[in-house]
Amino acid sequence: MKGPIMMKAVLRLTLILALTPAVYAQRINLDFPGLADKAREVVDVTLDGALLRLGARFLSDHDADERAVRQMVDRLEGIYVRSYEFDRDDAYDRSAIDAVRKQLGPNWKRVVTVRSKLRENVEIYTELRGENIVGLVVIAAEPRELTIVNLVGPIDLDKLANLEGQFGIPRVSKKGERP
Amino acid sequence: MNLDHELRAALQRKTPAPGLAERVLARAGEAPRKPRRVQWAVAASLILTASLAGWTAHRRAEGERAREQVLLAMRIAGSKVAYAQQQVRGISK
Repeated sequence: MKGPIMMKAVLRLTLILALTPAVYAQRINLDFPGLADKAREVVDVTLDGALLRLGARFLSDHDADERAVRQMVDRLEGIYVRSYEFDRDDAYDRSAIDAVRKQLGPNWKRVVTVRSKLRENVEIYTELRGENIVGLVVIAAEPRELTIVNLVGPIDLDKLANLEGQFGIPRVSKKGERP
Repeated sequence: MNLDHELRAALQRKTPAPGLAERVLARAGEAPRKPRRVQWAVAASLILTASLAGWTAHRRAEGERAREQVLLAMRIAGSKVAYAQQQVRGISK
Protein backbone atom coordinates (compact mmCIF):
# COMPACT_ATOMS: atom_id res chain seq x y z
CA MET A 1 0.00 0.00 0.00
CA LYS A 2 2.87 2.35 0.81
CA GLY A 3 4.33 2.19 -2.69
CA PRO A 4 1.44 3.83 -4.60
CA ILE A 5 1.00 6.47 -1.88
CA MET A 6 4.67 7.39 -2.06
CA MET A 7 4.48 7.44 -5.84
CA LYS A 8 1.50 9.82 -5.73
CA ALA A 9 3.34 12.11 -3.29
CA VAL A 10 6.43 12.18 -5.52
CA LEU A 11 4.27 12.91 -8.59
CA ARG A 12 2.51 15.76 -6.77
CA LEU A 13 5.82 17.24 -5.65
CA THR A 14 7.21 17.00 -9.18
CA LEU A 15 4.09 18.68 -10.55
CA ILE A 16 4.36 21.50 -7.97
CA LEU A 17 8.04 22.01 -8.74
CA ALA A 18 7.35 21.98 -12.47
CA LEU A 19 4.62 24.61 -12.10
CA THR A 20 6.56 26.84 -9.69
CA PRO A 21 8.51 28.83 -12.30
CA ALA A 22 5.28 29.50 -14.16
CA VAL A 23 3.71 31.05 -11.10
CA TYR A 24 6.57 33.10 -9.71
CA ALA A 25 8.12 35.77 -11.85
CA GLN A 26 11.60 37.14 -11.45
CA ARG A 27 12.36 39.69 -8.77
CA ILE A 28 14.98 42.21 -9.78
CA ASN A 29 17.72 43.33 -7.42
CA LEU A 30 17.19 47.04 -6.89
CA ASP A 31 20.03 47.72 -4.49
CA PHE A 32 22.15 50.61 -5.69
CA PRO A 33 24.82 51.28 -3.08
CA GLY A 34 25.48 54.95 -2.46
CA LEU A 35 22.74 56.24 -4.75
CA ALA A 36 20.37 57.19 -1.94
CA ASP A 37 23.12 59.23 -0.25
CA LYS A 38 23.47 61.44 -3.34
CA ALA A 39 19.73 61.98 -3.71
CA ARG A 40 17.72 64.84 -2.31
CA GLU A 41 14.60 62.72 -2.06
CA VAL A 42 14.21 58.96 -2.04
CA VAL A 43 11.17 56.74 -2.37
CA ASP A 44 11.90 53.18 -1.37
CA VAL A 45 9.03 50.71 -1.39
CA THR A 46 9.56 47.02 -0.80
CA LEU A 47 6.38 45.06 -0.33
CA ASP A 48 6.09 41.32 -0.59
CA GLY A 49 4.70 38.34 1.25
CA ALA A 50 2.77 39.05 4.43
CA LEU A 51 3.33 42.82 4.32
CA LEU A 52 1.89 43.08 0.82
CA ARG A 53 -1.15 41.01 1.85
CA LEU A 54 -1.58 43.19 4.93
CA GLY A 55 -1.41 46.40 2.88
CA ALA A 56 -3.93 45.01 0.40
CA ARG A 57 -6.28 44.09 3.25
CA PHE A 58 -6.28 47.68 4.45
CA LEU A 59 -7.33 49.04 1.05
CA SER A 60 -10.91 50.22 1.24
CA ASP A 61 -13.66 48.22 -0.42
CA HIS A 62 -15.91 51.29 -0.44
CA ASP A 63 -13.55 53.41 -2.53
CA ALA A 64 -13.70 52.44 -6.20
CA ASP A 65 -10.09 53.45 -6.88
CA GLU A 66 -8.69 51.58 -3.92
CA ARG A 67 -10.80 48.59 -4.93
CA ALA A 68 -9.18 48.72 -8.37
CA VAL A 69 -5.73 48.81 -6.78
CA ARG A 70 -6.66 45.93 -4.53
CA GLN A 71 -7.80 43.81 -7.47
CA MET A 72 -4.39 44.31 -9.07
CA VAL A 73 -2.38 43.91 -5.90
CA ASP A 74 -4.20 40.74 -4.81
CA ARG A 75 -2.57 38.91 -7.72
CA LEU A 76 0.91 40.33 -7.19
CA GLU A 77 3.75 38.62 -5.38
CA GLY A 78 5.86 41.70 -4.86
CA ILE A 79 6.04 45.45 -5.42
CA TYR A 80 9.43 47.15 -5.47
CA VAL A 81 9.97 50.82 -6.24
CA ARG A 82 13.08 52.97 -6.02
CA SER A 83 12.84 56.61 -6.95
CA TYR A 84 15.68 59.10 -6.51
CA GLU A 85 15.58 62.82 -7.06
CA PHE A 86 18.78 64.84 -7.26
CA ASP A 87 19.74 68.47 -6.85
CA ARG A 88 21.68 68.74 -10.10
CA ASP A 89 21.71 67.20 -13.55
CA ASP A 90 23.45 63.86 -14.13
CA ALA A 91 24.14 63.35 -10.45
CA TYR A 92 23.66 59.62 -10.71
CA ASP A 93 25.69 56.93 -12.39
CA ARG A 94 23.89 55.41 -15.40
CA SER A 95 25.42 52.04 -14.54
CA ALA A 96 22.48 51.58 -12.17
CA ILE A 97 20.22 51.35 -15.22
CA ASP A 98 22.57 48.89 -16.93
CA ALA A 99 22.63 46.80 -13.76
CA VAL A 100 18.85 46.44 -13.98
CA ARG A 101 18.86 45.66 -17.70
CA LYS A 102 21.52 42.98 -17.23
CA GLN A 103 19.29 41.07 -14.82
CA LEU A 104 16.49 40.66 -17.34
CA GLY A 105 16.56 37.13 -18.68
CA PRO A 106 15.33 35.79 -22.04
CA ASN A 107 11.69 35.83 -20.92
CA TRP A 108 11.80 39.60 -20.65
CA LYS A 109 10.78 41.75 -23.59
CA ARG A 110 11.13 45.49 -23.96
CA VAL A 111 7.64 46.61 -24.96
CA VAL A 112 7.97 50.39 -24.86
CA THR A 113 10.86 52.82 -25.17
CA VAL A 114 10.29 56.54 -24.91
CA ARG A 115 13.16 58.89 -25.66
CA SER A 116 12.52 62.53 -24.95
CA LYS A 117 14.76 65.55 -24.83
CA LEU A 118 12.22 67.52 -22.85
CA ARG A 119 10.85 64.93 -20.46
CA GLU A 120 11.83 61.56 -19.10
CA ASN A 121 13.10 58.52 -20.95
CA VAL A 122 11.07 55.46 -20.16
CA GLU A 123 11.66 51.81 -20.86
CA ILE A 124 9.05 49.20 -20.05
CA TYR A 125 9.99 45.53 -19.90
CA THR A 126 7.56 42.70 -19.36
CA GLU A 127 8.21 39.12 -18.42
CA LEU A 128 6.02 36.77 -20.40
CA ARG A 129 4.81 33.28 -19.60
CA GLY A 130 2.88 32.22 -22.66
CA GLU A 131 0.70 35.19 -23.45
CA ASN A 132 0.50 36.44 -19.90
CA ILE A 133 2.55 39.21 -18.36
CA VAL A 134 3.91 37.92 -15.06
CA GLY A 135 6.44 40.61 -14.33
CA LEU A 136 7.08 44.26 -15.06
CA VAL A 137 10.11 46.51 -14.92
CA VAL A 138 9.86 50.22 -15.61
CA ILE A 139 12.98 52.37 -15.88
CA ALA A 140 12.26 56.10 -15.99
CA ALA A 141 15.29 58.34 -16.23
CA GLU A 142 15.56 62.10 -16.26
CA PRO A 143 18.69 64.18 -15.68
CA ARG A 144 17.64 64.77 -12.09
CA GLU A 145 15.44 61.79 -11.42
CA LEU A 146 15.69 58.05 -11.65
CA THR A 147 12.76 55.73 -10.97
CA ILE A 148 12.77 51.97 -11.21
CA VAL A 149 9.67 49.87 -10.64
CA ASN A 150 9.50 46.11 -10.44
CA LEU A 151 6.15 44.37 -10.11
CA VAL A 152 6.19 40.61 -9.68
CA GLY A 153 3.05 38.74 -10.68
CA PRO A 154 0.29 38.99 -13.27
CA ILE A 155 -0.24 42.56 -14.49
CA ASP A 156 -2.67 44.29 -16.82
CA LEU A 157 -0.75 47.25 -18.26
CA ASP A 158 -3.89 49.17 -19.28
CA LYS A 159 -5.41 48.85 -15.84
CA LEU A 160 -2.12 49.93 -14.29
CA ALA A 161 -1.95 53.01 -16.52
CA ASN A 162 -5.52 53.87 -15.57
CA LEU A 163 -4.57 54.02 -11.90
CA GLU A 164 -2.45 57.10 -12.51
CA GLY A 165 -3.76 60.10 -10.65
CA GLN A 166 -7.07 58.40 -9.90
CA PHE A 167 -6.96 57.76 -6.23
CA GLY A 168 -6.91 60.38 -3.59
CA ILE A 169 -3.36 60.27 -2.36
CA PRO A 170 -1.02 63.19 -2.69
CA ARG A 171 1.10 63.30 -5.81
CA VAL A 172 4.79 62.65 -5.32
CA SER A 173 5.97 66.19 -4.83
CA LYS A 174 9.39 67.66 -5.20
CA LYS A 175 10.95 69.17 -2.12
CA GLY A 176 9.47 72.56 -1.33
CA GLU A 177 6.83 72.12 -4.02
CA ARG A 178 3.20 71.73 -3.12
CA PRO A 179 1.49 68.67 -4.49
CA MET B 1 -27.38 63.36 77.94
CA ASN B 2 -28.69 60.22 76.53
CA LEU B 3 -26.19 60.47 73.76
CA ASP B 4 -23.38 60.68 76.29
CA HIS B 5 -24.54 57.51 77.91
CA GLU B 6 -24.93 55.71 74.64
CA LEU B 7 -21.48 56.74 73.50
CA ARG B 8 -19.88 55.74 76.71
CA ALA B 9 -21.61 52.37 76.57
CA ALA B 10 -20.58 51.84 72.97
CA LEU B 11 -16.96 52.80 73.52
CA GLN B 12 -16.62 50.92 76.75
CA ARG B 13 -13.69 48.54 76.83
CA LYS B 14 -14.90 44.96 76.73
CA THR B 15 -12.96 41.82 77.30
CA PRO B 16 -12.98 39.65 74.18
CA ALA B 17 -14.28 36.15 74.29
CA PRO B 18 -11.63 33.60 75.19
CA GLY B 19 -9.61 32.32 72.19
CA LEU B 20 -10.49 35.28 69.92
CA ALA B 21 -6.85 36.24 69.35
CA GLU B 22 -5.97 32.68 68.26
CA ARG B 23 -8.97 32.47 65.95
CA VAL B 24 -8.15 35.79 64.34
CA LEU B 25 -4.51 34.85 63.85
CA ALA B 26 -5.48 31.46 62.43
CA ARG B 27 -7.86 33.07 59.93
CA ALA B 28 -5.30 35.71 59.02
CA GLY B 29 -2.91 32.92 58.10
CA GLU B 30 -5.42 31.17 55.84
CA ALA B 31 -7.41 33.99 54.37
CA PRO B 32 -4.93 35.61 51.89
CA ARG B 33 -4.65 32.48 49.75
CA LYS B 34 -7.91 32.90 47.87
CA PRO B 35 -7.73 36.63 47.22
CA ARG B 36 -4.13 36.31 46.01
CA ARG B 37 -5.15 33.79 43.40
CA VAL B 38 -7.92 36.09 42.26
CA GLN B 39 -5.49 39.01 42.20
CA TRP B 40 -3.09 37.04 40.00
CA ALA B 41 -5.89 36.11 37.64
CA VAL B 42 -7.06 39.72 37.41
CA ALA B 43 -3.49 40.94 36.87
CA ALA B 44 -2.87 38.31 34.19
CA SER B 45 -6.06 39.15 32.34
CA LEU B 46 -5.25 42.85 32.51
CA ILE B 47 -1.77 42.24 31.10
CA LEU B 48 -3.25 40.00 28.41
CA THR B 49 -5.88 42.58 27.48
CA ALA B 50 -3.29 45.38 27.38
CA SER B 51 -0.91 43.26 25.28
CA LEU B 52 -3.69 42.34 22.87
CA ALA B 53 -4.77 45.97 22.54
CA GLY B 54 -1.14 47.00 21.95
CA TRP B 55 -0.62 44.30 19.37
CA THR B 56 -3.88 45.23 17.57
CA ALA B 57 -2.88 48.91 17.49
CA HIS B 58 0.59 48.02 16.22
CA ARG B 59 -0.86 45.74 13.53
CA ARG B 60 -3.30 48.44 12.45
CA ALA B 61 -0.52 51.03 12.20
CA GLU B 62 1.60 48.57 10.22
CA GLY B 63 -1.34 47.83 7.92
CA GLU B 64 -2.03 51.52 7.31
CA ARG B 65 1.65 52.10 6.51
CA ALA B 66 1.64 49.15 4.11
CA ARG B 67 -1.57 50.44 2.49
CA GLU B 68 -0.02 53.87 1.92
CA GLN B 69 3.06 52.25 0.42
CA VAL B 70 0.93 50.12 -1.90
CA LEU B 71 -0.95 53.20 -3.09
CA LEU B 72 2.25 55.20 -3.55
CA ALA B 73 4.01 52.39 -5.43
CA MET B 74 1.05 51.69 -7.72
CA ARG B 75 0.62 55.38 -8.39
CA ILE B 76 4.27 55.76 -9.39
CA ALA B 77 4.12 52.63 -11.55
CA GLY B 78 0.81 53.75 -13.09
CA SER B 79 2.07 57.24 -13.87
CA LYS B 80 5.19 55.96 -15.66
CA VAL B 81 3.25 53.42 -17.72
CA ALA B 82 0.55 56.01 -18.52
CA TYR B 83 3.20 58.51 -19.64
CA ALA B 84 4.83 55.92 -21.91
CA GLN B 85 1.44 54.93 -23.37
CA GLN B 86 0.56 58.57 -24.02
CA GLN B 87 3.86 59.10 -25.85
CA VAL B 88 3.34 55.98 -27.95
CA ARG B 89 -0.26 56.97 -28.79
CA GLY B 90 0.89 60.50 -29.59
CA ILE B 91 3.43 59.20 -32.11
CA SER B 92 1.07 56.68 -33.70
CA LYS B 93 -1.66 59.34 -34.27
